[in-house]
Formats: sequence, structure tokens, C-alpha cells
Amino acid sequence: MDIKTLERLQKLNQLNLTEEETDTLLGFFETAEKDAEILSTVNTENVERMVYVMPMTNIIREDIAKKLFTRDQLQEQAPEAMDGYWQVPRTVD
Amino acid sequence: MKMYIAQTEKSAKNIVVDDMILTTDMPTSAGSKMLDGYISLFQAEAATKLTDAGYKVYAKANTGEFNLDLMGETSYYGAVETDGVLTTAAAKAIKDGEAMAAVTLEVNGSSARGAALAGLTYVKPTYGTVSRFGTIPAVCSGETVCVTAADAATAKEVLWAVKGHDDKDGTSLPQEKCVFDEVKEIKKVAVAKSLMTGDVTKVEEMKAKLSAQGVEVVEISAEELLLAKSAWNILMSAEVCNNVSKYDGVKYGYRTPNYTDLDSLYTNSRTEAFGYLTKSVILFGSETLSEANYYKVYDKAQRIRRVISEAIAKVFGEFDAILAPVSSKSAYTASEAVANPYMAYEESLYIAPAMITGLPVVVTDGVQLIGPAFSESSLLALAEKI
Amino acid sequence: MKYETVIGLEVHVELATKSKIFCSCSAEFGGEQNDHVCPACAGMPGMLPIVNKKVVDLGMTAGMMLNCDINRVTTFDKKSYYYPDLPNAYQTTQWFSPICVNGRVDIETSNGPKSIRIKQIHMEEDAGKLVHDDWSDTTLVDFNRTSVPLIEIVSQPDISSAEEAIAYLERLRDLLRFAKVSDCRWEQGSMRCDVNLSIRPEGSDVLGVRTEMKNMNSLSAITRAIKYEVARHTRALETGSEELVQETRRWDDNEGKSYAMRNKETAGDYRYFPDPNVMPVVIDDEWFDRIEKSLPELPEVKRAKYIDELGLSEYDADILADSRALCDVFDAAYAVCGNAKETANWIITECMQVLNKKKMTADMLAINGTSLGQLIKLVMEDKVSRPNAKRILASLFDKDIADVEEFAKQSGFIVSNDTSFIENIVKEVIAGDPKSVADFKGGKEKALMALFGKCMKQLKGNANPQVLREILIAEINKI
Repeated sequence: MDIKTLERLQKLNQLNLTEEETDTLLGFFETAEKDAEILSTVNTENVERMVYVMPMTNIIREDIAKKLFTRDQLQEQAPEAMDGYWQVPRTVD
Repeated sequence: MKMYIAQTEKSAKNIVVDDMILTTDMPTSAGSKMLDGYISLFQAEAATKLTDAGYKVYAKANTGEFNLDLMGETSYYGAVETDGVLTTAAAKAIKDGEAMAAVTLEVNGSSARGAALAGLTYVKPTYGTVSRFGTIPAVCSGETVCVTAADAATAKEVLWAVKGHDDKDGTSLPQEKCVFDEVKEIKKVAVAKSLMTGDVTKVEEMKAKLSAQGVEVVEISAEELLLAKSAWNILMSAEVCNNVSKYDGVKYGYRTPNYTDLDSLYTNSRTEAFGYLTKSVILFGSETLSEANYYKVYDKAQRIRRVISEAIAKVFGEFDAILAPVSSKSAYTASEAVANPYMAYEESLYIAPAMITGLPVVVTDGVQLIGPAFSESSLLALAEKI
Repeated sequence: MKYETVIGLEVHVELATKSKIFCSCSAEFGGEQNDHVCPACAGMPGMLPIVNKKVVDLGMTAGMMLNCDINRVTTFDKKSYYYPDLPNAYQTTQWFSPICVNGRVDIETSNGPKSIRIKQIHMEEDAGKLVHDDWSDTTLVDFNRTSVPLIEIVSQPDISSAEEAIAYLERLRDLLRFAKVSDCRWEQGSMRCDVNLSIRPEGSDVLGVRTEMKNMNSLSAITRAIKYEVARHTRALETGSEELVQETRRWDDNEGKSYAMRNKETAGDYRYFPDPNVMPVVIDDEWFDRIEKSLPELPEVKRAKYIDELGLSEYDADILADSRALCDVFDAAYAVCGNAKETANWIITECMQVLNKKKMTADMLAINGTSLGQLIKLVMEDKVSRPNAKRILASLFDKDIADVEEFAKQSGFIVSNDTSFIENIVKEVIAGDPKSVADFKGGKEKALMALFGKCMKQLKGNANPQVLREILIAEINKI
């Protein structure tokens, strides 16, 4: 882990760290990477990944449309909304 | 300590829920500035079930941000201490006699630690037996709604009120799996040497109590349990990174006043509203999922999850439960927890085996008993006996 | 040097479902902004995704229509990136185990027949819509389309010209519309296309630098964009006018130019991982067979059958075979009445007239074909007159009528076979219009038509014209 990777990660996750936070985090990443190293010593060649601890299949629903809430209810706590739209600074592309 | 009191009337049926359980009459903030004052349009299935069963969801208990920390010290609303010792708001509400029980979302061990250090009884049921509908998502593959109370009988009573199948949760088990009324006597308990680090006084005391009750206690090595912490921290961070990315200052919640364009709106809102631990978890989690690391780190952790799961299943072939500590120390101060933001990463050593496998845990007398899936009744019966 | 073009297409098709893929909001096109939205598709915490079964049905249907292998175990994954049209900051899609793989679409161009291989089809959720508001200089966000179910059909880079790309897209559209997977309307965004393009020296087996143009929404724009990009790549390779880089470009159809899109540094790191909230979908034999049985005959098979077996004109067969809705009504009606030509006429002329009045397209024809067959049979048996049959047809558009003859009786639309009743009416009319009778007898054929019309009106159209005419002439002759 280096500063450059950390900068890329911040950008990717829309976060800014202070210089002090960056230093602490680099230390943390070192510890965290040790975690990853511990795992790499275990042979998992014939082990399936375990995404679900209590696996089931076909949890599906019928195609029925329902309306739960009104637009006004959904936008009641919007930081900024106009004419029934959520509003953000103008985007390019 | 932040407690939203919805009903002031004192009642023996008062239940406190934590800041990860959505309610419509009180704000739900996940302990974060990001969701300060956020009111959900719908409530958690667990809250509905409590009300339907005649309980009163009377207050909201403070949590650490997204419940990731040691015991609430990262909360936007500050840590809770009793006599200079860090505790969770939920545990305090029970100790103070305000609430008969607490229903909280166990994400990373804070509820278990809060209960253990306050000498309360806690039950984290088998994953999928209590609906997660209406809980603030953090680590969906492992987090579970759990119950804390002064004694095992009360914990059981409240767990029985909230458990059950829910069509609104795609990981909710079928109703017949959520019954688990059968009590099997616990005769043989394993103590995993790999988890016997730090202050193990309470475990030693429990060993003595169990032996006195005629329960056979055997030390086993179970080295695989040590892997749980590393694997859990990876899976936990990755899922949290993904689940909290929706908080961006656009739809609801905190929006920075300092922005000139979309990018600065996103970045400044998140930077100003998230605490340091959350930020660290996001960045580490993101890195575990990056193209370069996915198979080496994240996917590997998913495979290790199965290794651990199978190792524990093997233990349960011979033993009825695993006895282990809940934390490395018997008390923490808020200042030491704040000073070491990664304490929760280290302390997850103890709770990770049950979090990563979704197995039930009962905390009693300051220790935890991990059982096979659906063994809640047996674990609680043992806790009641000793 | 001669170059060849290598094109792969990623086609997004919105599925014809009533509700969204993971929540129960309406998936209908249109509606007021943010009217088809709930906490889940507005990115609020606490709701959990439950897969819409119809999405899997349609995903399988698409795969079978495109000759794919169906993955019997299919799973959902999360793809993370920030954009205001993506309220959760992740899209749930299929990265590790898509529902369909290894398909094929056969096309026909001026160079003859060719097969385009399909790499995979995966199910995913759509993003919302952004509206740029000049007045406030902000972007407005509408989540109505957020989480509407999509399939993405990814072709192999087997396409080598704009003509082939268009033939492939048209064929895809025909097949998916015919199987009722989607209405595939470019203008409503229910069909969209990303174009991946590179060029290389003819005969080379090394791929050139690839550029991607996203969200193309018309065939003409795709043709122009492909031609433009081929020219740009060729010029770059031949003259070194620019260095080609692998990038995503936006096609501006008004200017007829493509532009590089910004945000390059973070693009590509989508951090896919399996969604632990969505359990795997396992397609057993029963489910597989049910979908397989529901597949329609291909449009060209229908067309050939209509011409060769039922004797329809090419013109009629073309119109019918262009729309699954018309075919369904035709097949059901023909099964009842047994007259293909009549049935085709009733659909192509009469039904289309009603649809036009309602400003609806052929695909929207939703009348009960069996009822239409009964109606045609009543006309063929002279039990209902044509004008009255058209009135009954109008009713078929409004309601489901299981027994059309009974309906006709109740509505007073059954032709009378009671000749004495007709004779009485004829006598009354003749008695009331001696002038016309005299005119007819004086040789004016037209006068007979006037009398005929009066009789028919009195009979409310419920008489066999031939019978009425015979009785009318007989009665006049009696005078």
C-alpha cells in the first residue's frame, strides 16, 4: 500500500483523508494486509466460496406491481428537490 | 448518550432498539452524522413483531457508526460510559431498569461485548431466523438481529417474539427452520485454545461452573478459528464499503454546504459526515474488491469462510458447544477505544467465528457459548441453569 | 493497406414486466417523474431485494430464442460506481454466472447469410434518468427507470460492418418482440446499444485498439457512428493523425461526431462481488420445459405457414408475421372459423382500423382471438350482418365476450330467418313509398336500392341481403 494507491482509493470512494489520517491508515493497511497474508497460507484449491451462510435457492416473487409511498413522502428529507425531482449540480457526459 | 424516548410511560414491556433498527416514530441514524435525524418511511420487521406481541419499542439506543466499532465509541452522538467504563447504550438501558430487553443489529461484535461486559445475557440467533427487513445494511452476509436482557428467560421470551420467516427478506429461512423449540442437554463443551488470549478469567470461571454442573469441558486446538478474524475483517470491510456508498448527499441525509460540482458534493458530504473508522473500513474494503485483489483477498476470504465453517461443524460432531471469551479485557474506557480506532478489528478475534458462519451465540456470565445452527434453546437453557 | 472492421455489440433490452426486478414498483414506461419509486429504488436503507420471477422467465426466453445455453444455476452480483442515476451507488447485475451463454443469431446481408455468436446474456437493473435543467443549471434526477429489469445481450466481435450490425439488431428486435421479452422500442429507450469497435489490417488475427460508444438509441445513429469511427480509426492508423486509445466515447448524432468521455481514471474498477442478499436462482427441468414450451414459432416460420398452408397472400402474411399479437389473434380466430382469408381481412382491415382510432400499434392488439373467430363464423353463416359484426368487434375491444352468438342475440344483432317477418316489413315499406315502386317499375334500378335500404333499416340490419332482395322483388312484382 502506498500513497498513490490510497489516493486512487479515496477518489474511487469519494472520500478525502487528512494527512494525519493518511499516515494512520497506511499503518492500518499494513496490519490488514497481514490478515490477507495469513489467509494466503491456507490451501483452498478445492474449497468452494461461501457467499451464503444459510444457503437457499429460488427466493423469488410473482410479478405484481404495488405502490408503497408517494413521491412527496420519498422526497420529504431530500437535501434539494425541484418539481418532483431530486436535484444535483449539473453533470457532464 | 442519545436516547429518543417515544413513550414516557414506564412499562414492564419496554424494549429498546438500537440505531440500526428502522422505526417510523423515532429517527434512525446508525450513529452517523450522515443519517442524523433520518426518519424511515417504514419500520423494521423486528419492531413490528415486538409491537404485535404487546411490547413497547420505547426508545432508540445509540450505536457506533454503522455498529462497526468496539462499543459505540465512534457514534456521532458520543460514547456512553458508566463509572468511567465504556458500555453500549442498549446495555445501559437494561442495567438502569429502563428496558426489559434490547433488540439490536449485531454487525461486528459490539452488542455481544456490551452484554458480556455488563454481565447481561445475550443471544445472537442463527442467521436467517430473524428478519433483517428494516435494518440499516452493513455486513449483510453475517449481521443478525440479536437480543440482550438481564437473564436468559427474558432474552428467550423476546427472541421468540421477533424470530420467524419474513417474505420481505430474501435470506429469511422458512418458518419451520425458525421454530427450534427443542432443548438438547449440553453435555460436552469445547474450549478453543486458539481463542484463549487476553483476560480469560471469566472463561476459567465458567469452566469451573460447567464442570460443577457435570458438563464435560475439553480443550481443543481448532487452529482454523484463528483465521476467522482475518477473513471476517475482509468480508466485513468489503460489504460495508458497498453498503454505505449509497450515502452521498443526494437523496436524503447529510449534504455538505461546501460544493461546486457533483464531485465535490459527493466527496465533501462523505468526508464531512463519516467518522475515521468508517472511512478506513470503506477504503480497505474497496481495495479487497479491486480487480487486482479480488481473487487473492476477497474471494479467498469467502473460501476460508467455508474452511472455518467446516472446521466448526467437525467440532460440533463431538461437542455440543464452544466456549470462548468475548473480548480481550474485562473493561475499556471510551478514551482508549477512541485512541485506537482499530480495536474492533483486533477484538473481532472472538466474535468473528460466529459472525462469519452465522451460528448462534449466547453470552452469559461474560463469556460466549457458540452452538450449532438452531441450538438457541439448548444454549439458553444452559445459561439459565448456571 | 486494406483494413477490416471488428465490431461487438452490447444490447440492453428492458423486459416486459409489470414490476421492477428487485422491488414491487411499477415498471411501466412513462408516468410522472419519481412516481414509480419506493425506498429500495431511491437508495434508502432497509429494504431487501427479492427477485421478480418473470425476469428470469424472460431472461430464459431470450436465451432460448437466441440459441443460448441456459445456466441452470445463476447468481446476482453488485457493481459499484458513483453516478446520480444510480441511487444505491451499486447496480445489481450478473458478473460471475449469467443466465445465458454461447448463443447465435443468424443474419442475412447483401453478402449473404452469416452467424453472429452471442457471448452471454445477463439480467440486471436499469439506471434512472437525468434531466439537465438549463434554467437552474442543475441536473434533475428521476428514479422511475431505476431497477426496471434489463437483459444485456453481449455479442462476440463477429460483426464487420454497419450493415451487419443493423441486420443483427433488427433480427434481435424481431425475435425478442415476437417472444414478448420486450417491446424493444428504441425511441423509449427499451432497446439500447453499446458499440465496441476496432479495425485491423485485413487478415490479421490481432485485435486493434478498441473504442466503445455507449447508449446508442437508433439504427440510423448506429450506422453513422460506425462509419465515423471506422473512418477515424483508419485515418489514425494511416496518417498518425491521432493516437488511438482504449476508451469510452459519446456519439453526438446532431454533430455527427464522437467524443471521448471524461472520468477515465476510476472507470473499470467496479469491484464486483456476489450479493449475499440474493440467493441463487436454480432452474430445474420443469421450469426449463415450461419456458421452452411457451416459445413462439419464429416469425419466418409463421409467415411461410400462412402462405404455403393457409393460402394467404404474401402481403397479408408479412403484416401478420410482423407482430406476435396479430399472429396470436389470427391463430386463435382461424382455429374457430376455419377461413384464413376472412380472418386475415378482419384483422388487417377491421381490427387495425379500431387500433388506429385508439392510437394503438399492432403489438397492442389484445382482443380474444377465439371470440373473433366466433364472430367471423357468424358472418360467414349469414347469422350476423357485416355492419353489425363491426359493432360487435368494437365491443370485443372493450370486454372479453366468451359466447359471441349469445352476445349478438342479446344485442339484437342476429339475422332474422323468419321470411314472413321480413315480408311484413317489406309490405309496409312498399306501401309507404309508392313513388319508388313506380320508379323501379318504370326502369330505374336505383329506386330498388332506396327501398332495400329502408327495409334493412327497419330490420336493423338483421337480414340476409340476398333473401331480402328476393322478397322485395317478389313483393313489388305482386303489385
